[in-house]
Amino acid sequence: MEIRQTQFHSSLQKNSPKIFLIGSILASLGILLVTVGGSWDITNHLLNKPESFFSPPHALMYSGVAIGLIGAAISFLGYRNLQESKDVFRLPLQLKFIGIFLLVGAGPFDYVWHSNFGLDGLLSPPHFTLLGGMLFCSLGGMFGISRFLKTRELKNNFANYLLVLATLPVWLAGSGVISSLSLPFSNTDYFEFNPEPTFAFVIATVAYPFFISLICIVTAKLSNFKPGVITILGGLFLLIYGMTAIVPNFALLESVEFYSMNMIPIVMADLIVSFRKTKKVSFVAGGILGSGFYMVYYPYIMYTYNEFLLGKLVSPSMIYHTYFELMPQVIQFTIIPAVIMGVIGALVAFRFSNKILVKN
Amino acid sequence: MTVFVLPEKFLGKDQFTPTPYLEAEVSSTQINLGESFRLSTISENIGDYGDIHIVSAAFPTLTKTDGIVRMVSYDFSNSPIYIESGDEIGAKYSGGLETVYAQYPSIEAMSRPIHPGTKYTMDLQITPDELGPFTVYVKSIDIPHTSSLSHFPTEGQLDHQGEYVLVYTVNVNP
Repeated sequence: MEIRQTQFHSSLQKNSPKIFLIGSILASLGILLVTVGGSWDITNHLLNKPESFFSPPHALMYSGVAIGLIGAAISFLGYRNLQESKDVFRLPLQLKFIGIFLLVGAGPFDYVWHSNFGLDGLLSPPHFTLLGGMLFCSLGGMFGISRFLKTRELKNNFANYLLVLATLPVWLAGSGVISSLSLPFSNTDYFEFNPEPTFAFVIATVAYPFFISLICIVTAKLSNFKPGVITILGGLFLLIYGMTAIVPNFALLESVEFYSMNMIPIVMADLIVSFRKTKKVSFVAGGILGSGFYMVYYPYIMYTYNEFLLGKLVSPSMIYHTYFELMPQVIQFTIIPAVIMGVIGALVAFRFSNKILVKN
Repeated sequence: MTVFVLPEKFLGKDQFTPTPYLEAEVSSTQINLGESFRLSTISENIGDYGDIHIVSAAFPTLTKTDGIVRMVSYDFSNSPIYIESGDEIGAKYSGGLETVYAQYPSIEAMSRPIHPGTKYTMDLQITPDELGPFTVYVKSIDIPHTSSLSHFPTEGQLDHQGEYVLVYTVNVNP
């Protein structure tokens, strides 16, 4: 019996980095589900105005939380048995723990909030707790996966797919934070949490392009500018956003063709960074990626700019027309700041990717 | 290409115009005090896909609906909204941009979204508590409200919201 225990313990110690990786993958996968559920939930609220806390998007989100929780527990198991590189994996574990603590707390908090104040808007204390948890936990997953790949010097296709899985939830969670600070979906019967239109305009114009560029260039840098990585990452983001924000809205179905055109700047950026692999061309790619933010965040970004520029009442089937009506004006106001923020995003991406790979 | 070529193509597309059609029926036009009558509505979106389909039944001779109006059957997707006298409500088909204060109570049935050809029914049991004529206003509105096609009826009497209504009167006898 004792020998078996010793063998089990030694096997745990030997495989502890892999166990930590599995925990990180589960944490990232869990947050991916939460973000997909979150985006679907926004659409569900806009189209159907659900009257109950118990809805399919909420079920998906809380399944994701459960998977993330299991991921954090497995990461802890792996971390405890690590014989070396403990300091490398400390930060990812801490981020996951903070994230999971916020995520698990957000569930009952949200339920209590719903029970007392009815349905809440996009920006509310429980939703912001959830978003914070998603961001921390996805960062924990990203740091964990990236550092594992770095310590093992893994550079095959599997490693690149893992990198995409690591950064995609961060992109979606970060987008959720920006959306909640800029979309006018937060006024309820009890609270008026809608962001001030000028503030929302600035946040959207600055943060979305910065974040698209940051995430894409970080992923490219972590993969050592492997061709196709940005394309896969961007394609998956568009697929998820398209499936949860466009396809469920019958009135937007025809615009899937338009939305798929977003692949053009993404593929361009991918080609640029993978051919030249230098910091300078990454800035060019970042500028290209940032410039397309109004198209990447179609359809809901329209509401942010509508508040500031038109102030029209836009029901979901009118999104389509208002979006295109606003497009020339939005491009005129935002194209330069968007390109600049895209370049800054790429610059920060280089520093951030170094931070990801260097211990703590 | 995304920015400069496609928007024209998409701007050229017609906006959806949902169009409501409403039939309402009262079970009796003469009742005795203490008796009830039924108000049954069947409504349909006969136009394009829309976001919200509303059927409203209002009671201009009442100050409250409690104990007088009872929902018997209802197949709309969202719960009905009970509007009381004094509540701030949308007016003139503005979707809430223009508002008024309700002068009398009403019940708003709502479904969202609405595909073309979908029908909804609502059945109310009404037990007036006073003698004399008892009036019910009924109307339907679809959102987006793009033109006069998006409300029913399109002419006739206006209610406190400045919107057209069908009028039904039941005499309550001693």
